[in-house]
Amino acid sequence: MNWNRRDFLKNTSGAAIAAMAAGIPVTKWLTDSNVRNSKATADTVILLWMAGGMAHTDTFDPKKYTPFSKGMQANSVLSTFKSVPTILDGINFSEGLESIGKIMDKGTLIRSYVAADMGHILHSRHQYHWHTCYQPPQSVAAPHLGSWIAKELGPLNPVIPAFIDIGQRFTLGEGEELKAFHTAGFLGNEYGPFLIPDPSSGLDSVRPPVGMSASRFEKRNQLYQDLISQSPVGEYGSDYQKESLKRSMEQAYILLNSPEAKAFDLSQEPKESYDIYNTGKFGLGCLMAKRLTEQGARFISVTTEYEPFKGWDTHDNGHTRLADMKKQIDGPVAQLIKDLEQSGRLDRTLVILASEFSRDMMVEGRPDLKVQEQVAQPDIIQDIKNYGMHRHFTDGGSMLMFGGGIKKGNVYGKTADERPCKTIEKPIMIDQVHQSIYHALGIAEDTNYLIEKRPFYTTPDGLGKHATGLFV
Amino acid sequence: MLQVNAFWLWEFLGHLHPLAVHFPVGLLLFAAILELSTVKNFHSRFRPGINALVIAGSISALISALFGWLLFLYGDYSGNTIDLHQWTGYATAILSLFTLSFLLLIRKNHKPGYVIAYRSLLFLTGIGVAVAGHFGATLTHGDLFPKSSSSSKDGGGIEKPSANFNLEALQADTGKLSVKQVTDLNTEVRAILAHNCYKCHGPEKIKGGLRLDGKHMVLKGGENGPVIVPGNPEKSELFIRINLPADHEDVMPSKGKKLKNNEIEIIKLWIEKGAPWPEDGSKEIIYKVAELMPRNPILPDAPAGLSDGAKSGLSNPVDRWTDQYFIKNKTKWPAVVNDELYLRRIYLDVIGMLPSPEEIEKFSNDARPNKRALWVRQLLNLEDDYALHWLSFWNDALRNDYTGTGYITGGRFNITDWLYKSLKNNKPYNQFVKELISPTAESKGFIEGIKWRGVVNSSQRTEMQAAQNVSQVFLGLNLKCASCHNSFISDWKLEDAYAFANIFADTTLEINRCDKPTGKFVDARMLWKKLGTIDNKATVAVKRKQLAENLIKPENGRLYRTIVNRIWAQMMGRGLIEPVDVMDNEPWNQDLLDWMAYDFVAKKTDLKELIYLIATSNAYQLPSVGYKEPAIISNPKYKFKGMVRRRMSAEQFTDAVSNIISPVFADSNLKYNPFLKAAYNGTPAKPSFVRAALVANNSFLSALGRPNRETVSTGRDSQANLLQALELTNGGRFNAVLKEGAEQWIKKFNDPDLLIKNIYERTLGREPRQNELAIARKSLGKAPTADAVQDLFWAMVLLPEFQIIY
Repeated sequence: MNWNRRDFLKNTSGAAIAAMAAGIPVTKWLTDSNVRNSKATADTVILLWMAGGMAHTDTFDPKKYTPFSKGMQANSVLSTFKSVPTILDGINFSEGLESIGKIMDKGTLIRSYVAADMGHILHSRHQYHWHTCYQPPQSVAAPHLGSWIAKELGPLNPVIPAFIDIGQRFTLGEGEELKAFHTAGFLGNEYGPFLIPDPSSGLDSVRPPVGMSASRFEKRNQLYQDLISQSPVGEYGSDYQKESLKRSMEQAYILLNSPEAKAFDLSQEPKESYDIYNTGKFGLGCLMAKRLTEQGARFISVTTEYEPFKGWDTHDNGHTRLADMKKQIDGPVAQLIKDLEQSGRLDRTLVILASEFSRDMMVEGRPDLKVQEQVAQPDIIQDIKNYGMHRHFTDGGSMLMFGGGIKKGNVYGKTADERPCKTIEKPIMIDQVHQSIYHALGIAEDTNYLIEKRPFYTTPDGLGKHATGLFV
Repeated sequence: MLQVNAFWLWEFLGHLHPLAVHFPVGLLLFAAILELSTVKNFHSRFRPGINALVIAGSISALISALFGWLLFLYGDYSGNTIDLHQWTGYATAILSLFTLSFLLLIRKNHKPGYVIAYRSLLFLTGIGVAVAGHFGATLTHGDLFPKSSSSSKDGGGIEKPSANFNLEALQADTGKLSVKQVTDLNTEVRAILAHNCYKCHGPEKIKGGLRLDGKHMVLKGGENGPVIVPGNPEKSELFIRINLPADHEDVMPSKGKKLKNNEIEIIKLWIEKGAPWPEDGSKEIIYKVAELMPRNPILPDAPAGLSDGAKSGLSNPVDRWTDQYFIKNKTKWPAVVNDELYLRRIYLDVIGMLPSPEEIEKFSNDARPNKRALWVRQLLNLEDDYALHWLSFWNDALRNDYTGTGYITGGRFNITDWLYKSLKNNKPYNQFVKELISPTAESKGFIEGIKWRGVVNSSQRTEMQAAQNVSQVFLGLNLKCASCHNSFISDWKLEDAYAFANIFADTTLEINRCDKPTGKFVDARMLWKKLGTIDNKATVAVKRKQLAENLIKPENGRLYRTIVNRIWAQMMGRGLIEPVDVMDNEPWNQDLLDWMAYDFVAKKTDLKELIYLIATSNAYQLPSVGYKEPAIISNPKYKFKGMVRRRMSAEQFTDAVSNIISPVFADSNLKYNPFLKAAYNGTPAKPSFVRAALVANNSFLSALGRPNRETVSTGRDSQANLLQALELTNGGRFNAVLKEGAEQWIKKFNDPDLLIKNIYERTLGREPRQNELAIARKSLGKAPTADAVQDLFWAMVLLPEFQIIY
């Protein structure tokens, strides 16, 4: 039998292999029928993930500020920070985001993200939905946004993995739920995330094993090559298992030996720059994203890291904790945009800052569809720990987008100024967000693969449309 | 675009627009051409004719424009092309009026300036007529010059929608289509209709009175009559509409989601072929459906008295069938593999481990003529090792894992203890299935499924998960489509899926179509009535019990064929039927499958006997076959020639490394310990390392292909990839294990040659060849350091010869 795949596709008939089952790795059946649209405005995507639910009224969409005082009415509190002006006329951010405010002339502020209704709220479930565009559970393993991009476009630089995920550990609470969407799903492991849980030790992932000198690494590889060439398994004829193993090992060797791997090494960064980014793990993740972009990364996700009741997941002390979170993100995010612009890469790099949903002090879910509350909120606030946005709010939320064809100095959508501070103009849902990203990258709207003879689209049923108002 | 009831005459006249436009187009163009040909002589003999043409043309242009305006007013049109057509049309009409005016002026007063103006205007009008006509034609007939759209994928060529459907061949076939071709073509068409049209032309929404979800409804058409003229796509409204430009008001599917080129081609072909649609229901079967009942074909005699050495000893029933198959396919029996290779295979297939050099030696020194069978039996008797190997296969299929989604909120249950003991005690398969479907507290994890917090899609509620998973795992049947809408890849209907799911439901589930409630309900019932009934009013426990009893009946040939095929695929690298989850597909040898399934039941559904039968056949012992493309293996035209080469599973690889070099996992990694005194009453000693099947999934195992068990998984990927190679090249855990092993080995062996010989024997089951020895010697040096040994280990276990089961 000496068929190639094209012949195979031609010759195969009947409903025989068509009704393929998800139980079996389907990589081998995926047909490469999707091609890139030539109108792409971006080559690289950086997702800055605000894990845990970032309250819009205390970040990028501030409302009336009510300072803390004992005995205050909870219902009267819309924002727990002062508003500060941004570079855009009439657009204010919440105090603590001044640096990002100064670069808003370089991107679009979205104030109308609407998350899905999925009943009793579980962060990881909404994160699954945000990253895959599908609500769990699914009978077919849904691929992560980054995996779709890796599959459709491949790496920009062949030695830099196409999908790099920075900053998330999976050993924390809900780790299994997080794993469920940090996957290429049916697209196959090849397109899965290259995980760097801690950017400060990121280099360890792409250099010879710790403690192994370069010369030893070189020698080891030579030994392997020599032994393969002598192994009699070749006498049994060629097969794809052997070939793919040899090829993958070769690729790994090239990556670990490549000068580009230095991008993972943050110690190579000038101190001045390093210090600006070094607000903690997230900031360093942004720095790594910058360095990787310079070497030709395709999709990078940097997260503030999701851990139940930590980070943006403010079930208490919302005000106090947000002050810290803003310190973590404000400098690095602004610097990342400035650096990308300065190096001329911002034009072809789409940077997105987003969170799975927003928060409110009173409303759990959305105003017209409240779900089971998870945080006890006293009507009269006596303790500062109750002062903050502690409930999960799905009917409004903020996102930022920069570069890669996105309009500059643009504000998209609007939320109400009084509680419930829900989206009142240009609501944008997750499938529009995904399609907007694909649009920028030139990935066709109807990109899909047949799984079990059903087309599985990048966005459910292929119905999503990109939001034209975001693009130049 | 008035929504009021228009005076019928205006509407009628509007509809005459497409007719009327042909007058100005013809007349004015003709006038312009004649004018051009007589440009030197204004008063040529054509003058009166041209004048008449211009007069008639201008008047008809005005009338056409008026009718066009009426059509637009009452016709519910919008879109870019409409706008272009409309305004070029009006402009042309006005131009023609000016042309006419100058012509009349010339007749009164023949000034050269008037002639120039008249002629320029006439030529402009001619161009206007052509342009407006083009846009008009685009509206009616679709884009005449197809341009590339996001959907035309490979440079305008026709792409393959489903990997199997050969459109070109069908297009080339001018004769009458075979039943199978009709079925295939119709299936494709129905898939296209289902995914693009049902939303508005289905039972939920019947726009324009048109439904496209059934034969008679499609052929009947909608409010405005038939949409299909069999044999004539150009006259079929449906075909015309899907060909309109994406921004055309009438384009279908609406909302500008244009069909892909190849989909349009398929529909065109289908209409050309007379829009065949096999009858629904039981009269004719649209999709190939495998026989449900068991079948016991008469076993052929063993090929006797053959001098051909390769055929001697073909008494195993598997071989008797295979011999027939080989004769039919003109395949010769190759010689069976040698002892070393055979031993390696049965070790990996039965207990998931490599044989030690001592075992290899013992085996090759075993002089008993039936030693291969005896050793298989011996391995099958290693209850714990057997259970530890097959545990992973069943964990994948049953979505059983120590960690994963659902556990966090108590929405998932682990069944490892039950599963391990069932395998260890070789529980008959029918009992095994029964206990999974009608479970005890220990085995309920499979049927209870994974429950996420919050509200989930109705096709993924736990009752529906149970219906889908029971069908997939035990019956090789896909109910996933049918749990959302009537399937178009099989005859299973939404109602069937809900009837089946209701077996697992406390209260009858409301049927949801595409996640929307329909207000309909259906009683719990079996997928096949032949297999028995379900008492709809009974409790879930009783209904599950009835289901289990019904399913494991010997009459249910499908249950037993499915498992026989799965075990065969595990040992042979490819099932008799592929994919193993689609048991309606054709096997490469029906008799062999049927006979084995029948025999399996006759032998009290003993899985070990099934493995024994396969492992002792000559068919199993043939040299392995390697393929350049995985797709060739899954091709339905696949011809059996011997075991298909595959890679070790994550667990087999890890266990081999643990065994040969140093344990990859420690006792502290154990998630389930079968060797605790209370649980363990066997005689063999506790193994010296922790088997990979007993630990939680981790980055190492998952890089090597252990699935995350969120969905049913019935096969592993044999292909390597970069992320995996990175894990193996610089992964912390892996390199630490190799280092640890190296340090122990240099204490054991002070002679490098002895060390090399040992590592070759333990990893590859053979001695190094001269060249290999030389290379290894060179890398180790005279006094090997731990580093050098570690690197040799690394190279050895990454050799394809080590990793591939061949």
